[in-house]
Formats: sequence, C-alpha cells, structure tokens
Amino acid sequence: MALVLVTALLVFAAIQPMLQGNQERFSELGVLGPAQTIGGYPTSVVAGSPFLLYGYIGNHEGTASLYQLLVKVGNESTVVTNSTYARAPTILSYTHVLGQNQSVTFPLNLTLSQPGSGIRLVFELWTYDVTNASYQYSGLWNQLFLNVTSH
Amino acid sequence: MVWSNKRALWLVLALALVAMLAVGRADPASAVTPGEVTSANDLIQSGFASAHQAERSGGNVTALVADLNEAIQLVQEAVVQNATDPAGAAADLGNATHLAQAVAAESPSFGRTGLADRQATEETSIGAAVAVVSAASLVYLFGERVYLVVWLRLYKDYVVRPADG
Repeated sequence: MALVLVTALLVFAAIQPMLQGNQERFSELGVLGPAQTIGGYPTSVVAGSPFLLYGYIGNHEGTASLYQLLVKVGNESTVVTNSTYARAPTILSYTHVLGQNQSVTFPLNLTLSQPGSGIRLVFELWTYDVTNASYQYSGLWNQLFLNVTSH
Repeated sequence: MVWSNKRALWLVLALALVAMLAVGRADPASAVTPGEVTSANDLIQSGFASAHQAERSGGNVTALVADLNEAIQLVQEAVVQNATDPAGAAADLGNATHLAQAVAAESPSFGRTGLADRQATEETSIGAAVAVVSAASLVYLFGERVYLVVWLRLYKDYVVRPADG
C-alpha cells in the first residue's frame, strides 16, 4: 500500500510540468483618479479644459492579449451592461498588448467640449479576438458622472 | 500700360503655380493619411495574431509583445504629430509598420522553439514517470528477495548468543 502511494506521488510529480494550469481566466479594468489612486475623481470639469485620469488594465487570460480601452461620452440614459456596449461617441482610445499576468497603468488626458450636467464618461475594455480578427467587447466597463461647466 | 498689366498678371499666375506645386509636393509626400494609419493598425493586429499563435505553441513571446507595444506607441505618436510634423509622423508610421511586420515574420521561429521545448519537457516527464513505475514494479516483484539477500550478507558473521551466556 505504501509502495503504491509513493509511486503515485512520484509519478504525479514527474508529469507536473506537462499539466496545464487550471486557473480562472480574467481581465481587469480600473479607472484611477489624478493621483493614480481609487479616489479623488473629479465631479466637475470645465468644457474645453483638459483633465487627467488614469486607466489600469490587467491580463490573467493565460495568454498575451491585445486590449483597447475606449472612453465614450454619454448621459444618464446611455445603456451599458456586461453584454451591451454603450452606443455613444468615443473621445479617446488606448491600445496595449499585455502578456500573461502583466498589467499597465496609463494616463488618460481627456477634454469635454460641450457643457452639461449628468455627463457620463463610460470606459469600456475591448479585446482583440484572433479568430474573428476584430475587437470584441469584454463586458468590463466603468463610469464616471461629471458636470461640465462652461467656465 | 497694357503690356505692364499683362506682365504683372503672368507674374502673379507663375507665382501661384509655383506655390501650388510646392504645397502639393510637401503635403502628400510626407503627411500620414487615415488609410495608412488603418493599414499600420491592421499590421499590428496581424503581428499580434502571429505572436498569439507562437505562444499557444509554447513560445516565450515577451520580446514580441514589447515590439508590438512599441509599434502601437509609434502609430499613436504619428497620429498626434501629423499636423505639426508630417515628415516625422510618416517616419514613425514607417517604423511601426516595420516593427509589426518583423513580429509577424519572427513569430513562427518563436513558436517552433517553444514547441521543441515543450516536446523536450514532455519526453522528460514521461521518461521520469516510466522510470518511477518501473522501479516500483521491480521493488514489488523482487524487493523482499533482494532485502533478504542483502540482510544475510550484512549479518553473515553475526552470532546469536543467549543473553545470559
């Protein structure tokens, strides 16, 4: 019995390099404030004046991934869910390739031209699908509500 | 007076023609068009697809990922500086295109290296497993006999004496 147990353990150890990791695969999307922290987000900006946020993307998909972050300008009625991307104009896009377990933090220099209240900035993460040769909505999104003043 | 007016008119027309030629030559020759940007982005996506395939074969594509990111950065810079420095933008786009094409060209060799490494790993693992099972079988079949023979050889000169003798 002991011989069988020891043999099984040794065989398992020997074939361990061949076994694929059975880890959960996922991507990460984050929007950070001007100090690169979760907080300090602006609530009001001036139309035509640039303001700074930071984006964060992490890759745990098991392979390298080509990501595209889209920043869209919508309003309170703009629909965005894990399965539906926002039908709103894109004001900025950021593209980056990440290897497995890599992440990147990058500046988002944004400018909103039209004044208004309840302006909704939508951040969507898209990934490049090699099979379809096109970017696909990953279902990851974030949002920031802003008042845009004229001065 | 008439002659002078005609002469002035010809002069103005000639100057306008020269100016148009100069502008016409400077812009299209160096400025980046949206089509060229799209083409460069397509090449980057194609390069990524090649690198992805190489990684699936077991290749280490860290260097290819870095090259693709450099190409993406160059395209973004080209778009930004196109209005102010068309020649620089065109050069950046050319470099980005070159990098993306190089990634696509180099990816297969990365994949082949990864595949060879993976096969070597599999062969080593299977060999080790077979060796373990073989050793266990031998121990099961002949272990006791070998143990007894060794014990007898070790203790062949051992004399058993009574505790009180």
